[in-house]
Amino acid sequence: MNLVGTLFVASLSCCALAAAAALTAPAKARLWLAGLCTAAAGACGAAAGVAALAGQSWSAWLPGLLPLAGARLALDPLSGAFVVVTGTVAVCAAIHGIGYCRHGLDGRVFQAVLPVFVASMLLVPAAASVSTFLLAWELMAVSSLLLVLAEHRRNTSVRRAGLWYAVMTHLGLVAILVGLVAFAAGAGGESFAQLREAGLPPAVKTVVFLTTLAGFASKAGIVPLHVWLPRAHPEAPSHVSALMSAAMVNMGAYGVVRVGLDLLHGGPAWWWLLVLAAGAVSALYGILQAAVSSDLKRLLGYSTTENLGLVMVGVGAAGFLAATGIPVLATLALAAALLHVVNHAAFKTTLFLSAGSVLYATGVRDLDALGGLRDRMPYTTALFAAGALCASALPPGNAFVSEWLLLQSLIHAVPGSGVAGAVTMPLAVGMIALSAGLAVATFVKAFGVGFLARPRSAEAGRAEEVPPVMLGGTALAVACCVALAVAPTVVVPALGRAVAVVFPGRDVVSGELTLRLAGVSGVVSPLLIAVALLVSVMAVLVLVRVAATRRARRAARLWDCGAGPMSARMEYTATSFAEPLQRVFDNVLAPESDVDVTPMKESAYLVERVRFHARVPDRIEHRLYDPLIAAAAAVGRRARVLATGSVHRYLGYGFWALAGALVVLVVLW
Amino acid sequence: MTDATFVQLLDLACGAFLLTAVLVLWRRELAAIVWLFALQGIALTALIVVLGARQGDVELILIGLGVGALRAGLLPYLMRRALVAGGGGRETQPLVNVATSLLVAAVLAMLAYALSQPLVRLSPTPATQAVPVALTVLLIGFFLLVTRRRALSQLVGFLLMDNAITAAAFLTTSGVPLVVELGISLDVLLAVLVLQVLTTRMRAAFGGTDLDELRELHD
Repeated sequence: MNLVGTLFVASLSCCALAAAAALTAPAKARLWLAGLCTAAAGACGAAAGVAALAGQSWSAWLPGLLPLAGARLALDPLSGAFVVVTGTVAVCAAIHGIGYCRHGLDGRVFQAVLPVFVASMLLVPAAASVSTFLLAWELMAVSSLLLVLAEHRRNTSVRRAGLWYAVMTHLGLVAILVGLVAFAAGAGGESFAQLREAGLPPAVKTVVFLTTLAGFASKAGIVPLHVWLPRAHPEAPSHVSALMSAAMVNMGAYGVVRVGLDLLHGGPAWWWLLVLAAGAVSALYGILQAAVSSDLKRLLGYSTTENLGLVMVGVGAAGFLAATGIPVLATLALAAALLHVVNHAAFKTTLFLSAGSVLYATGVRDLDALGGLRDRMPYTTALFAAGALCASALPPGNAFVSEWLLLQSLIHAVPGSGVAGAVTMPLAVGMIALSAGLAVATFVKAFGVGFLARPRSAEAGRAEEVPPVMLGGTALAVACCVALAVAPTVVVPALGRAVAVVFPGRDVVSGELTLRLAGVSGVVSPLLIAVALLVSVMAVLVLVRVAATRRARRAARLWDCGAGPMSARMEYTATSFAEPLQRVFDNVLAPESDVDVTPMKESAYLVERVRFHARVPDRIEHRLYDPLIAAAAAVGRRARVLATGSVHRYLGYGFWALAGALVVLVVLW
Repeated sequence: MTDATFVQLLDLACGAFLLTAVLVLWRRELAAIVWLFALQGIALTALIVVLGARQGDVELILIGLGVGALRAGLLPYLMRRALVAGGGGRETQPLVNVATSLLVAAVLAMLAYALSQPLVRLSPTPATQAVPVALTVLLIGFFLLVTRRRALSQLVGFLLMDNAITAAAFLTTSGVPLVVELGISLDVLLAVLVLQVLTTRMRAAFGGTDLDELRELHD
C-alpha cells in the first residue's frame, strides 16, 4: 500500500477508534477522546487527499466486504480534492465540537455517530463502484440524519426538519440508485472503470444523467430541491451544520462531475445548460432568501444554496464548453468550480462554527435578538468578521478568486460558443454578479446586526466568550481561508490535476505570485491585492490617528433628537436592514405581512395596540411542495378505509394480491 | 434404491404431504388439526430422507431427521400444550365454509401446477416434478391463515406455509446447507413460541382467541 492508501486507511481507522471511544469512554473523557480521534481522522484524510492531489493514485478491491461484488475504493486527484475538503472541515468541526457539545450533546450515540458521518463522507469520493458508492452515500444520509435529530427533545421544529431531510435525502438516493443501476446494467459491470468504457445509446445516457442529476442536486441544495437545506442546517448542532454545509453538500457537486463528466464523458450541450441554469437560479434565489432571513443559521444555510449554485454554474459551463469544443475554457470553468468548492468549505466552516459559538454563548440565533457581541465575545466577533469578508466575494477574501476565475471562463466563452453560448453566458455573468452583490449585503447584515451595536436582548447582554477549544477550531478554519485567499497560486495548479482527470492534458494557470490564465488573457494577483489593501488601510488609519491627535479630545453627550436615552429598540434590526431589498425583490420573494390593530374600548380612534407580523416564506416550497404534500395526505386519508383493523382483512389483501399476481404470471407466460 | 422405488417413495411422501394439508382444511377440531400437522411433519421428514438416501448424502438425512424432530415433535407438542391450557375447542366459524374451502384448495392446486411448469421444464427430474405439491401446500397454508378465526388454526396455516417452503427448497436444490436450515428452523420455533405467548395473553385479555377481537386496538 502506498502513502495515499496508508493515510486513507489510517483515517478510517481513526474514525472507528473515535466511535469506539465515544461508546466506551467515561463521560468526562468522552468529548476529548472522541473529538481528538475524529480530528486525527480528518487530518489523515486531508493528508491522503493532498497526496492524491499531488498525483499518487491508490485503489483497492475488498471482495469479502460486500456481498456479490465486493467493495472497490480508488483515490484519484478528483476524489482527492473532495477528500481534502472533508478532512479539513472535519478537523475544525471536531475540535470546535469538543467545547460545543458540553451542554447536553455529550451522549454516547451522538458522539459515536459523528465519526461515522465523517468516515462516510471520506468514502463517498473514494468509492469506485456503484454498490460501494451507494452504500457510502446511504451511510452518509443516515448518519447525518441522526446528527440532525440530536436535539429533538429540546425543540419540536427539529423533528419537522428531520422529516423533511429524511424524505428529501431518500428520494435523492432513489433517483441516484435508479440512474446508476440503469448505467451499470447498460455497461455490463458496476465498477467505475467498466462504466467509463461502456458505450451506451444516447437515450439511456440521458436518462442516467437526468436521474442522477436530480439526486445529486437535491444533496447539493439546488433549487427547487433545496427545501430540506434551510430547515436541517439551522436545527442541527452547529458543528454538524458546518460538516453538512461545508463537506456533505459538496458530494452533490462531486457526483455531477464524476458521473456526468467522467463516467459519461460529457454529453450534449443541453444537459449542461440545464445544470448551468439550475445553478444560476439557485445562486440568485439562495442569496435573496439569505438576505431577507433573520435567523443566523438559516441565513448561512441559504448562502450554501447560493454557493453550491455557483459551483454548479461552473460545472455546467465546463460541460457546455467541452461540448461546444472550447476545451481551454472548459478546463478553466471546472477549475473555478472546484476552487469555489474549497473556498466555500473554508468560509462556511468558519461562519457556522462562529454561529455555533454565538448560539453556545447566548442560546439565540435570531439576529433581531443579537447584537453587542463585539465587547463580550471579541475573538468570536473577529473570526466571524473574517468569515463574512471571505463569503462576500470581495478582495482580499478567498471567494473573490474563485468567482473571478468563474467569470473569466464565462466572459471569454461568448465569442466561440455559438448562439446558445452567446445568450446564456452573459446572462450567467449577470446573475453571478448580482448574487455577489447581494452576498455583500447579506454578510454586512449578518455581521453588523449580529455582532455590533448594543445587545437587543437580555441573552445577548449576558454573553461571554466561548472556551478556547471552540475558538481554536474556528481559528483553524480562518487560517485555511487566509491561506486560500493569499496563495491560490499553490492551490489552483493542484486542483488542475483534479480537472485533468476529466479534461486531460492542460494546465489551467501559471505563475507563482500572479495567476496567469492559460489560453486566454487574464491576470490576477490576490497576494498583491491583499498587501495593497492592507497597506492602504494602515495608511488611512495612521493618517486618521495623526490628524486626530492634533486636536484635543472633547467628551459630549450623543445627539438623540431630544428623545433620549437611546435604547436598543431604536437600533437597525436585521429585518429593517433587509427591508429595502425585500421591497425591490417583492415579486420574487412574495413576503407576507400582517398588521393587527386593536382599538381602545372607549373610542375606535384611539389605538391600544398594533401588532405587525412579517415573514418571507420559501415561495418554491409553498408553490411546489405544499400541493404535493396535500395530495399525498388526501390519498392517505382515503386509504384509511382499507384499514379496518381486522387482521383477516389485512392477511386477505396479501393473499389475494399474491394469488392475482400468480394468475397474471401464469396467463402471460 | 432403484429409480422406480425412489419415484414411488417420493410420490408417496409428497402425496401424504398434500393430503394432510387438505385434511387440515377439512377438519374443524383444533386437536385434530394439530395431529394432522404432526403427520405432515412426518411426511416432510420422509421426503427429505428419501432424497438424502437417493443422493447417498448422510448430512441430508440427518437434516431431515432434525426437521422431523422439530416439525413432527416439538412444534405439535407446544401447540398441544397451548390447546390444553385453552381448554380445546373447535374452529367455530371459518370466514369461508369448509366445502368452499376445499373447492378453493382445488383451484389453488391448479394454479400451483400451472405456475410451476417453467420450473419443471428447467430440469424435469422426479423431485422437480413434485414442486407443484409444495406450492399447493404453500397457497393452502396462506388461505388457512386468511380464513380461520382461531389463533391456533392460523398458526397451523403459517406453519403449513413454512413446511411448504422447506419442501420446495429440498425438492428444487440438491440439499440445503445445514446453517440455512438451522436458521429457518430456529425462526419458526421462535415464531411459534411468540405466538403461544400471544395466544395466552389474548385469552387473558379478551377471554378468547378470535383474532378479530384485536379490531378494538384499531384507532
